[in-house]
Amino acid sequence: MLDLKELENESIYMLRESCAEFKKPAVLWSMGKDSTAVLWLCRKAFFGKIPFPVIHIDTSYKFKQMYQFRSKLVEEWGLDLLVTRNEEALRDGVGPHIEDKLDCCTKLKTEALKNCLDTYGFDALILAIRRDEHGIRAKERYFSPRDENFQWNYKDQPLEMWEHFQGLTGIRTHMRVHPILHWRELDVWEYVKKEGIPTNPMYFARNGKRYRSLGCEPCTAPVESSANTVNKIVDELRTTKVAERSGRAQDKEKAFIMQKLRALGYM
Amino acid sequence: MDVNIDVVIVGHVDHGKSTLIGRLLYDSETLPEDKLDEIQIILEEYRKQFQFAYFLDSFEEEFKEERTIDTTRVMFKGRNYYTIIDVPGHTEFIKNMLTGACHAQIASLVVSASDGIQEQTGRHAFLIHMLGIKTVLVAINKMDLVDYSQAAFEKIKDETANLLASLGFSVTVFVPISAIEGDNIYTPSERMDWYHGPTLVQALDETEPEAASEKPLRFVVQDVYHLDAEKVTVGRIECGTMRKGEELVFQPSGVRGKVHKIIDFPEEVTDGKAGDSIGIVVGYETRRGDVGGHIETPPKSVDRFLGEVVLIEGTLKRGDVFSIKCGTNRGECLVEEIRERINSETGEVIEENSTEVSKNEAATVVFKTPPMVVDNFSEIPQLGRFVLTRDGRNVALGIVLESMV
Repeated sequence: MLDLKELENESIYMLRESCAEFKKPAVLWSMGKDSTAVLWLCRKAFFGKIPFPVIHIDTSYKFKQMYQFRSKLVEEWGLDLLVTRNEEALRDGVGPHIEDKLDCCTKLKTEALKNCLDTYGFDALILAIRRDEHGIRAKERYFSPRDENFQWNYKDQPLEMWEHFQGLTGIRTHMRVHPILHWRELDVWEYVKKEGIPTNPMYFARNGKRYRSLGCEPCTAPVESSANTVNKIVDELRTTKVAERSGRAQDKEKAFIMQKLRALGYM
Repeated sequence: MDVNIDVVIVGHVDHGKSTLIGRLLYDSETLPEDKLDEIQIILEEYRKQFQFAYFLDSFEEEFKEERTIDTTRVMFKGRNYYTIIDVPGHTEFIKNMLTGACHAQIASLVVSASDGIQEQTGRHAFLIHMLGIKTVLVAINKMDLVDYSQAAFEKIKDETANLLASLGFSVTVFVPISAIEGDNIYTPSERMDWYHGPTLVQALDETEPEAASEKPLRFVVQDVYHLDAEKVTVGRIECGTMRKGEELVFQPSGVRGKVHKIIDFPEEVTDGKAGDSIGIVVGYETRRGDVGGHIETPPKSVDRFLGEVVLIEGTLKRGDVFSIKCGTNRGECLVEEIRERINSETGEVIEENSTEVSKNEAATVVFKTPPMVVDNFSEIPQLGRFVLTRDGRNVALGIVLESMV
């Protein structure tokens, strides 16, 4: 475990920078452990009330329990929830059954988010990605610009020195802010434990299996585990050799698929 | 609590930085189960041979071109937790190297035993010195290519020691390694019985972190929030400590007064220490860019200082105007004087009283700025480091040598 207070301090600093440097920020929430922890950090950074919208990209293929968890926290924390869906793609029958997972993720997640940005004009999106989740995410900056076509120009990322994050350089661009980029999976769970952050029940083991990472129902598989409490999850993570996203289909279909997804603006 | 130490692996292109890290992950069994399978699929698709660096690199371009383009990090557990920062060795990717290296407390400089000191060996050493990294472990790599010869090791060791001494480092650890064969990284080598020193990981574990020295309070203001009846000044204590009831002065706005409340939401606390992101209620108008400190050791506002910069993009000319950011203060600054133009490979002064600095060169520069708080980097690094921005892009980094000139 790293020093949780230190991690929290750094993340809060970045969240406050996002609010100071950008006109219209928003935070993405998937109801998973990471983005729920980020909402928790936002509540701390802004003294109990998150001063910007909380976006949920709804692919319509999420687990039913996730929707229940969403309603519960929206009410308890007074969230300004904004749900975005790519209705057109859904009408056209795009879904996990189609051949190409890259296409499904791009249409139902990336494009749904793009439509939301076009409508509301957000110039900064706070996201709960972490370096240790995936090699491509490990290449990210804390403040990472997306161009006017929503794309990640990963071949020319900004010089990011110390706390001096680069701002935006063009119109119709937006910033992706990654306040827990340097946290590890174990740190998130230790933080959940220490702070008592509400957790989606799907992370806890039932019948010998639990979800390590939550995505769309058809593309997310549970891993073998008997960890049915936060404490047991923390213990499990101290020794496991199984990758966190081993149950996530879109990472695995082809070589470098995560890079291709993210270059197009995927989270 | 586990201690985490950030270690950057620097050195010239193809001297084996990524290979070293891949080997370290492999030998220490740090990799997840399916990592080998994942790599196997990619190797088959692209008809490539296995390399240890593939445990690390992730962009398709990096894989195809067999070179690191951008920085990445991996965690590794020895006696402490280490965040190992991989950086590219090409001159065109210096900005990515710096982005990774600026977070490190320790550097390991990799030098090829068969290739010796090259352009980026010197430049990377110069840059990490400027960033304030004091501990450098030298790994003389590719010992397999020189038949594990002690004479070859000693020769490169002497050359590297001279280079580092000329830049101001005092380095004592030189480890002969072969990243490809796995000698002396995690496992002691059986092929170099003439070497009795530590493996690279042992050397890391033996490194003592620098003791934190006592510093005056510097509280950097990020914003002021209007909450219900209160105005809360939010920011971070960069160094020193703050207690409720103390008198503070804020510069450059010049206001002073008492700390009525310190809030670490949801709690109200009585004091704050270095690193804390807190809110304070002070009952007077502060603003973003202000720095708070005690009356006895106040932050000083200046409008001119001497800095050392490294230029990453474009040119820097006498008379140029840049946007500068130090702490949370941003303003326009003028390049008033270029005292020395410096070769960033060697640290040598190329020219005094220059008119123009080129990409990848360093320089000592007098900047004229709007009123802002800066401290000497050697005393308070957090307020002694800055970036220069042009057209929205961060094009140079710098440290403050003398806040009052």
